[in-house]
Amino acid sequence: VIGFIEATISGILMGGLYGFIAVSLSLIFGVAKIVNFAHGALFMVAMFLVYWILVLLKVDPYLSSLIAAGFLFFFGYFFQRLFIEPILRREKETAPLTVILLTSGLMMIIENVALLLFGADYRTVKTGYTGKVWEIAGLFIAQPRMIGFVLSLVLILLLELYLRKTNLGRAIRATSQDREAARLMGIDDYRVYKITFGVGGTMLGFAAAFLVPFYFVHPAVGELFVLKSFVIVVLGGLGSITGAFLAGIIVGIIESLGAQFINSALVESLIFIIFIGCLVVKPTGLLGKQRE
Amino acid sequence: MRDPYFLHAAITVLLFAFLASSWNIIGGLAGQHSFGHSVFFGIGAYVSTILFIYWNVPPFLGMIVGGIIAAIASIGIGYPCFKLRGPYFALSTLAFTEIFRIIATTTEQVGPVDFKGAAGILIPFRPGNSFVNFQFAEKAYYYYIILAMLILILFIHNWIEKSRWGLYLAAIRDNEDAARSIGINARRFKILALMISAFFGAMAGTFYAQFFLYIEPILFSSALSIEILLIAIVGGAGTLMGPFLGSLILTPISELTRTYLGGTYAGVQLIIYGGVLVAVMMFAPQGIIPPLAKRYRMLFERRA
Repeated sequence: VIGFIEATISGILMGGLYGFIAVSLSLIFGVAKIVNFAHGALFMVAMFLVYWILVLLKVDPYLSSLIAAGFLFFFGYFFQRLFIEPILRREKETAPLTVILLTSGLMMIIENVALLLFGADYRTVKTGYTGKVWEIAGLFIAQPRMIGFVLSLVLILLLELYLRKTNLGRAIRATSQDREAARLMGIDDYRVYKITFGVGGTMLGFAAAFLVPFYFVHPAVGELFVLKSFVIVVLGGLGSITGAFLAGIIVGIIESLGAQFINSALVESLIFIIFIGCLVVKPTGLLGKQRE
Repeated sequence: MRDPYFLHAAITVLLFAFLASSWNIIGGLAGQHSFGHSVFFGIGAYVSTILFIYWNVPPFLGMIVGGIIAAIASIGIGYPCFKLRGPYFALSTLAFTEIFRIIATTTEQVGPVDFKGAAGILIPFRPGNSFVNFQFAEKAYYYYIILAMLILILFIHNWIEKSRWGLYLAAIRDNEDAARSIGINARRFKILALMISAFFGAMAGTFYAQFFLYIEPILFSSALSIEILLIAIVGGAGTLMGPFLGSLILTPISELTRTYLGGTYAGVQLIIYGGVLVAVMMFAPQGIIPPLAKRYRMLFERRA
């Protein structure tokens, strides 16, 4: 029973991070309707950034998360500006397949450049809290996971506030609901897209810093997260931030319990089967609104 | 033609041209850019190999059996996925490649058959040139077989395109809602196109298995699916010769980088592929053939 509870808790904590990454993807997918396959590659870039800052400059990941977040904002912003915007302008409406292929091309480039530069080693870091646990009511909880979960939750609440209370946030939500109408109201939709990409990048930067203390860094690490994030986004409902976070936690629990009691590889395929089932039965997801 | 290295490269070019042409039926003619084509390729490779190793079924027969199984599997894949459109369709077909890859990676012994999981299956080498074993010491045999297969699929492509049914597919591709509103059963025609596409995709899998004599779960991977799409789209999705042209351009790149860089620089091939993909999407999203054809036609009309 203790094993079961601990696996559940560890699943929730990891799921929170999945949810956090998925929220950043959902923002881009939901607002700009862009399937960004390079999302995982951006995440990997952020993880390496945090890793090298830690190894070379001995700066704590939670501190360097600010640097990573800032850097990834510009990375995301210019990523949209340089590659995706020209296509959107040319094809007027979002052409999903052109953009999917474009972003998978960029993913191939970024990942393999990282492979050339850093090699295929699985790198891990040693921080003061790696492997440390808190004992709460007889249960052992890994410290970095707990910290990552709490910080993710706080940042998601901040994002929600930002989207609801600021003008730019309102512009983002308006564009996601109806691009044409938003444009008629004087919103520069391309600028909104760029900023959305930037904000998505910022969140990835934070997520990477939260993950580095207890995970490995590898050029293909993003691939592990990107498909799962799409699953989570669809499960949670497109454009729903709470939905994505909850779906992330659900996926985390399934994974953690499955790894403990069934077989981690089969659970992976179970998640994809659930994904297809969910798409067919209820494409709007758990908390999504009507799409199209 | 006698140079074995050149022959090997020519065979891989034709193989990928064939594979991309099989994708072209669902992806080009019907306009459904499936990210799941590697599933059929993998099914073809595994079915014929297992029939050959455990029951001594000649791979040429196994190729047909694999094709039929892939076509049946394609109904199961097409049924849910064709309910979805655009990015959702792409993601759901991609999810299928992951499901199959994971199953192939984790499956070991099933009854008398050992799938060998992640290790992959080595096909025992039988010396000599034998059509029964589909193994040839002289590579020229492989060359002519895959050439014949490519010509066959180009004929079928051409036939579908010209048929009434091909016009239905074109209508679905250009505007599915409009096609439905004039009474075309879109789902049925799409599944039919996917079945044909899957059948030939599986044939390519068998050929791959017999040519390289080694198969592994990576054959199901989404990376291979993207490579197939890339070849067809660079050449021009939906055009007859697009996949062939795409393979002619891209496959030698991968052969050369594999030979001269290999090992530590294995990623260079994918960087070049990624670069080509980005450039094509940004500057010629229709592929290479349509703009060329347009220019040629303009030239022709001006003279007339």
